[in-house]
This record gives sequence, structure tokens and C-alpha cells, in this order.
Amino acid sequence: MASENPESDVAPVGMLDPSMASCPHAGYGQLREFKQGVSRMPLVNVPMITRYEDVMWALRHTEIFSSEMSEELALGNERPMIPQQIDPPAQARYRRLLDPLFSRRRSLQLEPDVRRQANVLIDKFIDNGECEFNRSFAIPLPGSVFLNLFGLPFEDLELFLEMKDGIIRPHAKTQDHEEMVKVRKHAGQSLIEYFEKELDSREGKTPSDDLLDAFRSFEIDGEKLSRNDILDICYLILIAGLDTVTATLGCDIAFLAANPAHRNRIVEDPELIPAAIEELFRWETPVAVVPRKLKQDVTVGGVEMKKGEMVTLLLGAANLDDRQFSHADEVDFGRERNRHIAFGGGPHRCLGSHLARMEMRVAMEEWHRRIPNYQIKEGETPTYSTGIREVQYLPLVWSGTR
Amino acid sequence: MSLKIGVEIDHDLCTGHGRCYDLAPSVFTDDERGYGQVLISIVGPELTGEARTAAGACPERAILLKRLAADES
Repeated sequence: MASENPESDVAPVGMLDPSMASCPHAGYGQLREFKQGVSRMPLVNVPMITRYEDVMWALRHTEIFSSEMSEELALGNERPMIPQQIDPPAQARYRRLLDPLFSRRRSLQLEPDVRRQANVLIDKFIDNGECEFNRSFAIPLPGSVFLNLFGLPFEDLELFLEMKDGIIRPHAKTQDHEEMVKVRKHAGQSLIEYFEKELDSREGKTPSDDLLDAFRSFEIDGEKLSRNDILDICYLILIAGLDTVTATLGCDIAFLAANPAHRNRIVEDPELIPAAIEELFRWETPVAVVPRKLKQDVTVGGVEMKKGEMVTLLLGAANLDDRQFSHADEVDFGRERNRHIAFGGGPHRCLGSHLARMEMRVAMEEWHRRIPNYQIKEGETPTYSTGIREVQYLPLVWSGTR
Repeated sequence: MSLKIGVEIDHDLCTGHGRCYDLAPSVFTDDERGYGQVLISIVGPELTGEARTAAGACPERAILLKRLAADES
């Protein structure tokens, strides 16, 4: 009946309210407990699914909740990003090729490099007694991992960050919608041109063991991947691999800076770090929302939705659902049964989850080994972005370094 | 009589989160794709805790634990 009176489905809070970026927990709760946990965003009318079981069900049913590229899901790209914007069964053929490159085993091989790079960064600012965490650590660390994986020169980091920001955050450059589309398109084209040039330069050369050469060797049904397929994989990995780890590092360190009791637990017992990271994935859920497009009519939580509609899955709200998690609104590093879905779920489970977990663990180990006692600079307030929850400004101060 | 538990992964449900082999490395291992595989399909009391922890952390609920009668083990 609800659909006959759409007014009644309007959400009590908007996802773009600034409060939803810095401290979304109360807002998630309001949305989750509104009627049966499904409501429509004010103005744009997009349904938001918030309860754990419903979100998980949607993630699994890709034949209803499609991740396929459409105009609404494009990010400056003209073809689908692979494998995220292709649905099963076609998607599975790419995942079979890509999964081994992003497995835990492969990720662990990169661990010494990540550890070294984390310390190179820390060395630069540790004696200053302060830093702006995002710019000094959270942005360059995953950036250097990305360049290392692709066998690209570290000097290109600034260039990559600019292209990535143009694609993900064109609104940082302009408020005008048409301009935004242009900024995004231009950044997307620059990225494609960069990789075209790199691939050209590798023609006829002996392959190395980096990702780009691995993609060049891929075959499906006895045929090499097309140039476009390779470019569309590169596009996804840049978009998905940089901002997400940056955001997670910022969210976690901001939480630990403000909660010294939790921080002291991992400083005193570094073996607790993996469990702490998992709990903070649940609590912070930096990739808080996942868009899908409906391929069929469907009703969830009493809200009727039509084929062709965009739908938003609130991973962040699902991860705080007390129907799934006991004492869901407490951060408990000793939590058992932590089935959080910060990396999504179902066939599109984040390809980079093993790599991200390794990067997070190494970064948290090295940071807390060397800078165990830090806090947010007095008089300053961290600022968060909506969408992907990145702490864009996180000024820290510390004493007693090692 | 000591309790034994049968351990299985439903590979139709598993999507490779990797929580099982991270949390219960004596019972599960990872394959080349980073998906979980069962190492020990019948665990004794010393490993039932580990197996339960892994099952409780799997977002896909792909780990099936079955209490075995003494004669089945």
C-alpha cells in the first residue's frame, strides 16, 4: 500500500546531510528503524535499503539488483569498468582471472614493500610532532602500493591522484553540474590515454610480474583480452583501490585519536590489530553506500520499487543493525561473530579486500609502533566527505615517538 | 566422549571473503583465488572453538558445522 502514498516513504534524514558524513551512526539508526527499514531519499526519491538481511539479500540477487554500467552508474567511463560493472555470469569469467592477482597469498608478498613505504612516509614527519594525516600518510601510502603493483614510476603519483580526484570528486572543482560532467570525462580520458601509452610501450617486451603484464597475458576461451578490456580493468582498480584505503586509514585513525582507551589496547597488544581493524570496518564502513539499478520490479520492506529505478544499499547502516550484531552500537575489539559487510557481499565482493586488509594491518602496526600517543590537534575538527567517508582534514599531534 | 564437529564450505555461497582461513588457520586454508578450503573436515574438541569463530564471521554464511555422533567420527 505504501507506494500509493509515496510521501509516507520519505526518509527522515538525507544521506547528504553533513552530519551523515562525520557521525552517521544515529542517522543510520533512524533510517533502519523507519517503518521496515526502507525509505526514499528526500527530493531524488531513490530507495535506501538499510537492514542487514535486506542488504545482503540484494547484494546476492544480482539478477534483480544490477551493478551493470548505466548512465547513472558511469564515472567518466564510456565502457563498463571490469569486473564491477558487469553482472554474473559474464562477470565470473573476469573474476576467475583477477582473483588470484588479489588473493591473500599475492597480497602477503607485497607486505615488506608496504611496510618499508609506510616507514619512509613516517620518517618524513615524525620529528615534527604533527601532521595532516590525509595528505601526509593516508593518500600517499595506497598510491604507492598501486604504482608498485602496476610497475609504474613513483613520480607519477601526483598525476594519478589528480586523475582519480577528477573522476571521483569533480564537485571539489566546480559546483556546476555540466562542468562536473566535463571534469570527470576529461579525467577519465586522461587515465585511458595514460594506460594506452604505457601498454604501447610494453609491446614486444619481455613481460614482468606486475599487474599490467598479467592483464596482457590473460586469455578467455583461448583469446587474449582486448586492449579495451585491459583499460577497463585498470580504470576500476584506480577508482576502487586508492580512495577506499585512504578513507579507511583516515576513519580508523580519527576514531583512535579520539578514543585513547581503544588506542591503548592495540598499542599494548599489537596482535589485537587485525580484530580491531575488522571492528572498525564495521563501525566506520567507509564505503557506506552501494548503488544498484533494478532489472525487475521488487518489493523490499513494504516499499514497491520499479524496474529501471536506482536503489541505494546502505552498507554502513546494515553494519550497525542490532538484528545482526549484538551490542551493535559499541566498538568492541573482542567482538565475536563479526559478519560485517564493509567489503560488500555476494558475487561482487570487493576484489581488493585481501590487499586492503594487508595494507590496513601493516599501516596500523607501523603507525602505532612508532607513534603510539597521538591526538587530534587542539581547537581543530576533522572534516569528513559524504559518499565515500574520507576524513579529508585530520590534523594530528603527538609526543613520545619511537 | 569427546565432541567432534564436521566442517564443510558451501562453495555455491562462498565468495572469497577469506575470514575462515584468517580466523581459523588450523581448520581452513586459502586456494589460489583466495577462496576458503577445508583443511580438516572433522575437528575434535581442541579446534571446535576455532571452527565456530570462523563460521560466525562468514558474511555469506557459507560454513556448515555439524555435530557428529560418536560413531560417525
